[in-house]
Amino acid sequence: MRAFIRMLAPHTYMDRQRRAGLLFVLPAVAYFSCVFLIPLGESVLGSFYRTQPGGTGQFVGLRLYQKVLTDPTFWQTVRNTVTLLFMSVPVTAVLALAVALGLHRLLSLRWRSVWTAMYFLPFSVSLVAAALVWQWIYDPVYGVLNHLLGRVGLPPLNWLQSLDLVLPSLALINVWARLGFDTLIFLAALQAIPGEYYEAASIDGASQWQIFGRVTLPLLNPQIVMVAILEIIFNFKVFDTVYATTQGGPAAASQTVIMLLYDTAFKFFRLGDASVIAVFVFVSLLALTLLQWRLFRRQVEY
Amino acid sequence: MRRGLATMLVAVVTLGLWTAGASPAAAQSKKLVFWTHWEQNPEFNKFYETRGKDFAQKHGYEVQVVTVPYQGYEAKYLAALIGKSGAPDIFMGMTHHWCGQYDFCDRMPADLAKLWDENLPKYMVSVGKWKGARYGIPIEHGNFQQMYINSDLFKKAGLNPDQPPKTLDEWLAAMKKLTVIDAKGEPTQVGFALRHKGHPVGITDKFLPFAHAYGARMLSPGLDKATGFANSPEMVAALHFYSDLIQKHKVASLAFPTPEDAFGQKRAAVIFRESWFFGWVKKNAPEVSFKVYALPCGKTCPGAGNLFPWTNMVYKNSPNKQAAWEFMRFISNAKDDLDQHQAQGILPVWTVNLESAYVKARPDYRSTQEMLKQPVPPEYYHPKSNELATAFGEAVVAALYGKGQSKPLLDEAAAKMDRILSD
Repeated sequence: MRAFIRMLAPHTYMDRQRRAGLLFVLPAVAYFSCVFLIPLGESVLGSFYRTQPGGTGQFVGLRLYQKVLTDPTFWQTVRNTVTLLFMSVPVTAVLALAVALGLHRLLSLRWRSVWTAMYFLPFSVSLVAAALVWQWIYDPVYGVLNHLLGRVGLPPLNWLQSLDLVLPSLALINVWARLGFDTLIFLAALQAIPGEYYEAASIDGASQWQIFGRVTLPLLNPQIVMVAILEIIFNFKVFDTVYATTQGGPAAASQTVIMLLYDTAFKFFRLGDASVIAVFVFVSLLALTLLQWRLFRRQVEY
Repeated sequence: MRRGLATMLVAVVTLGLWTAGASPAAAQSKKLVFWTHWEQNPEFNKFYETRGKDFAQKHGYEVQVVTVPYQGYEAKYLAALIGKSGAPDIFMGMTHHWCGQYDFCDRMPADLAKLWDENLPKYMVSVGKWKGARYGIPIEHGNFQQMYINSDLFKKAGLNPDQPPKTLDEWLAAMKKLTVIDAKGEPTQVGFALRHKGHPVGITDKFLPFAHAYGARMLSPGLDKATGFANSPEMVAALHFYSDLIQKHKVASLAFPTPEDAFGQKRAAVIFRESWFFGWVKKNAPEVSFKVYALPCGKTCPGAGNLFPWTNMVYKNSPNKQAAWEFMRFISNAKDDLDQHQAQGILPVWTVNLESAYVKARPDYRSTQEMLKQPVPPEYYHPKSNELATAFGEAVVAALYGKGQSKPLLDEAAAKMDRILSD
């Protein structure tokens, strides 16, 4: 309390510094509270209430948690989401690293910029617009993919209309959309690694693979962890691409947790049930992020 | 210098506020805000603004139409209606949702409700009502599926487009003749454009005419039970017939994602759609010559039923609800009904207009009459109809994709629907 009063009426240089610091972070904290913390609190609170006609709520304790967490449809959407995540995240991260390594080796700065911009371009496209474009690419009758398959004598495939192919097809859209962003992160990190490390490794007789495994990868560890976390969050929350292309079909084969949340809240008007799903997503992502942070983050210094 | 700048800033802000307050536009800006998600019907929506100008001369309120994209309109409506701020005065939707699940609707004044009850076709009187009271004004007649056939493809297959199939057996035989398979065994043209993609509610909607033709119904007459209805032997037989169109007879295909496009591109000879589809074909596929007929019958005829009874309602918490009802009263007459629907090329609602020259000249005039003569099919105007239709539609689409047999899929759906009903 005393510290707070001193911050409001600073006496010393350090008090003034603290006040300045607080004022600088205040807009961000206020914004973060308005758009994230307050809705989060509302969601947690809402998960204990059943919506009544007129929008009022009836307190039902943990009953909605029991209902949602024992619903097979909910677990089916979790399975779909996790499958999509496993198909997208490793591919995106590995491809992004490969592309970044390639771009890093380009000597011409101009060409490096051109290629980087090209890889980054899909990230700047609205996901809904991208999904609609991909819907055309995947179209079983007019799509370019089936046209190409036909050219090499292969039969056409029902990409988004197939129970087996729908998730890989959606994963490909996610990889395409996210590749540029992750590439940029890796490229920036690669450029920050001092050249002396590579020189020293070469003088010691290390092969290219050894240099990659012993120098580059360890020094990229913070970025790899960050990309993995960001990709898991993105893929866990994926909605736009699925909603615009398949609406969760065929036969709910691509219905994700967030799609179920959306339907539950806005099509079925069950705000309490939807809040339970939102809390589940939040807790799952928090747990996954902490786990990743704990397991994979290594402090590397040379 | 600093003080001078501050004085100037205060002066500019004061002037701005004074100008805004004194502006004649601001003084006259009494508006009724109308939300609709019928983005495919811009002329129909524009009519509210046009007549709103006439209304403004008498009552001082203009009408501003806001077209909300259909995809996700529920989210926007719900946020605004719960939040109250930024909510519309008048909005379009389904009465049993917005007045049943939630309590967002203002009850219609008795005289206006009487006027509408007296002027609607019989089958539409229940549309816009919740627990016997009228809240909504029905806006779409002919919102039930009819059979659109491609005349050229019929002739090419040796069928007479003037003698459409009347029973499901005749219909299936015709679909087989209309299907063309290439050397690789892939259909290049199918008899029937079947909906298998999109939200399960839409899939349920497209399957229901078949279910009704088999004498099945999705819910009990009291709308309180699904088991015994959604999984009745009649429903199982209907779903079996429906999924066989893809799995066994191959007269419909999963390779054609959008049924409307398949019909417009002459890849499908027949589609079941509502009266608005006539305008869609004229606009998007003008080279397709088509005829419209009543749906084929099975054990019984499917009749004029639908899952989406659209209505206009007045928001209960609107500060302008009195004026909103006055505007509704202002356009509640046969002439406005005809003008508004004719502008968009859709069927009017008032009974007296169903025999107008405009309606008689439409290609769906006779089929509409024929469908209306059939027994009224079951209605499912339940506040949870979306959720129920989703659970049911998941079983239908699973059968279409060969994920299981009709009976166990429907048993599972019925149990889930009962859980939804009892919750």
